[in-house]
Amino acid sequence: MGIEERLRELQHRKAQVVAGGGPERVKKQHAKGKLTARERLAKLFDPDSFMELETFVEHRCTDFGMDRVSAPGEGVVTGYGTVDGRLVYAFAQDFTVIGGTLGEMHAAKICKVMDLALKTGAPLVGLNDSGGARIQEGIDALDGYGKIFYRNTLSSGVIPQITAIMGPCAGGAVYSPALTDFVFMVDKTSQMFITGPQVIKAVTGEDVSLEALGGASTHNRTSGVAHFYAVDEEDCLAQIKRLLSFLPANNMAEPPRGPDTDPHDRMEESLLEVIPEDPNKPYDVRDAFIPVLDDGDFLEVQEMYAQNAVVGFGRLGGHVVGVVANQPRILAGCLDINASDKIARFVRFCDAFNIPLITWVDTPGYLPGTAQEYGGIIRHGAKVLYAYSEATVPKLTVILRKAYGGAYIAMCARSLGADQVFAWPTAEIAVMGPEGAANIIFRKEIAESEDPAAVRAEKVAEYRRRFANPYVAARRGYVDTVLDPRETRPRLINALEAMCCKRETRPARKHGNMPV
Amino acid sequence: MKKFRVTVNGQTYEVEVEEIDAGEARPAPAEQVKGVVPKEAKAPKPAVPAKREEAAVSEGGEAVKAPLPGVVVDVKVEPGQKVRPGDVLVVLEAMKMENEIPAPIAGTVREVAVSQGQSVSVDDVLVVIG
Repeated sequence: MGIEERLRELQHRKAQVVAGGGPERVKKQHAKGKLTARERLAKLFDPDSFMELETFVEHRCTDFGMDRVSAPGEGVVTGYGTVDGRLVYAFAQDFTVIGGTLGEMHAAKICKVMDLALKTGAPLVGLNDSGGARIQEGIDALDGYGKIFYRNTLSSGVIPQITAIMGPCAGGAVYSPALTDFVFMVDKTSQMFITGPQVIKAVTGEDVSLEALGGASTHNRTSGVAHFYAVDEEDCLAQIKRLLSFLPANNMAEPPRGPDTDPHDRMEESLLEVIPEDPNKPYDVRDAFIPVLDDGDFLEVQEMYAQNAVVGFGRLGGHVVGVVANQPRILAGCLDINASDKIARFVRFCDAFNIPLITWVDTPGYLPGTAQEYGGIIRHGAKVLYAYSEATVPKLTVILRKAYGGAYIAMCARSLGADQVFAWPTAEIAVMGPEGAANIIFRKEIAESEDPAAVRAEKVAEYRRRFANPYVAARRGYVDTVLDPRETRPRLINALEAMCCKRETRPARKHGNMPV
Repeated sequence: MKKFRVTVNGQTYEVEVEEIDAGEARPAPAEQVKGVVPKEAKAPKPAVPAKREEAAVSEGGEAVKAPLPGVVVDVKVEPGQKVRPGDVLVVLEAMKMENEIPAPIAGTVREVAVSQGQSVSVDDVLVVIG
């Protein structure tokens, strides 16, 4: 056989794999509003940069007639390329090839690309679209999942791992995404669940639709499993690119610098208007920090979940920062179980990947109620304390208004290792709100007076005057500086640059035991 | 693929029926109900990512419940009024904060279940939007 002929054969074999499940199945995929695995990768990566690995891998299952089933590419495309010029590894499951089901060799391909990403210290993006375990391959398929979980865990905190759910993701398949740092879901076309609607109906009698059970809205709003919501696949891939622009390649690298064209000394007049005069009035905390960030650019994470806390990425003086804030507009800005989970996980991500933390505080406390106590707010709330205390990245805190009780400490107070704590003149840093405190401290005077209501009002006012301000904390050094709000941006950038060489070590240990 | 229109309890569904090849693996039982989407959920996709706020919810009225216990200090809507997502329905004072309870979806206020000055517990219905 001459070289010409051999080349023709190679072309033919490649074309067979690239065709995936064939035109008919590709058409079905498109009809559902979904792209094919290769189309998705083409949109994610820079043009012509994606290099495919293990193109010719095939399954070796012979049971149940599988010896007659050909699966081009084994139902998954793996490889690497550049996104905005930076190296990224990826795998994309191909639903057109036997439903993108995961068998032994399918898993082996994913494991190979995961190993490469970890060895080379580059982010890994997984695009999931799979019918689940390939039942014909039995425990070999399960073993494949296990191997992926193991690698997800080894890679955790070493390289950023991002998952997009772009089709079904059921049963064991959900746990690889859950082990990664960020999960994207596409509205209407992606679902995640452990057991499907039919099993739920049979076992518990509940009637639930696929979308209500495990759709993008459910996991973004209710369960907190997903971090980003996309209206369609294009939107999803564009959002992944944007997220990557904030992340370092690995835990030894610095996050990518931004353009740094926004003046560092920009005084922001609008900040004077943010905090309402009446401390009982809500406002949107994003109005307090977004104008401070470079070009007002903020990528919110878990925007729809536990909205009483806001977390996300932005830049200050070109440096990527992780923003954590209480949201007074929702649940009065209380910390509750879900907000604690959200904050703790985000803080740990930032710490793992050298992203300084800027915490914006306006919280009246932990949310009271039996639901919270029975749900374990004690152990969930402890995660926030743990995550902040454990973090060794630069930690800057800005107290906007209420900082009461345990929640004040939890929101990266000086005692948890904040490097610099700033307070706006509107800050009220105290053990509890004036009403509650006055009722306890002056209980006797109030009870014994002839006009308890008047005395209570007077004592509340006295307490507010004496303690509901930033100066008591500043006198003790719990607050470094009380700021004119307009100065917030210059001061934060200055503090951040002063902290750039921060080194802080922790006792040697295998790992801590975070309350999970 | 064939399409059928099925009416169950007055609700119309568009059902797509797909013949499955013998070789095609179908592990998840959920696969078989794929494509069952309540008809009204098939709203045209917004051109711009106008996303977030207007996600799903179509079955009957949507009850807006108290997210935390408190006192209703203001009711901003009345039955029959049209609301958009984010419009303030009720102001609920709790945790020393006048919490604005917004409409989660667009619709018409079907019922206002509380009045000014009333104390409510967690999950008490405040307003029903139809």
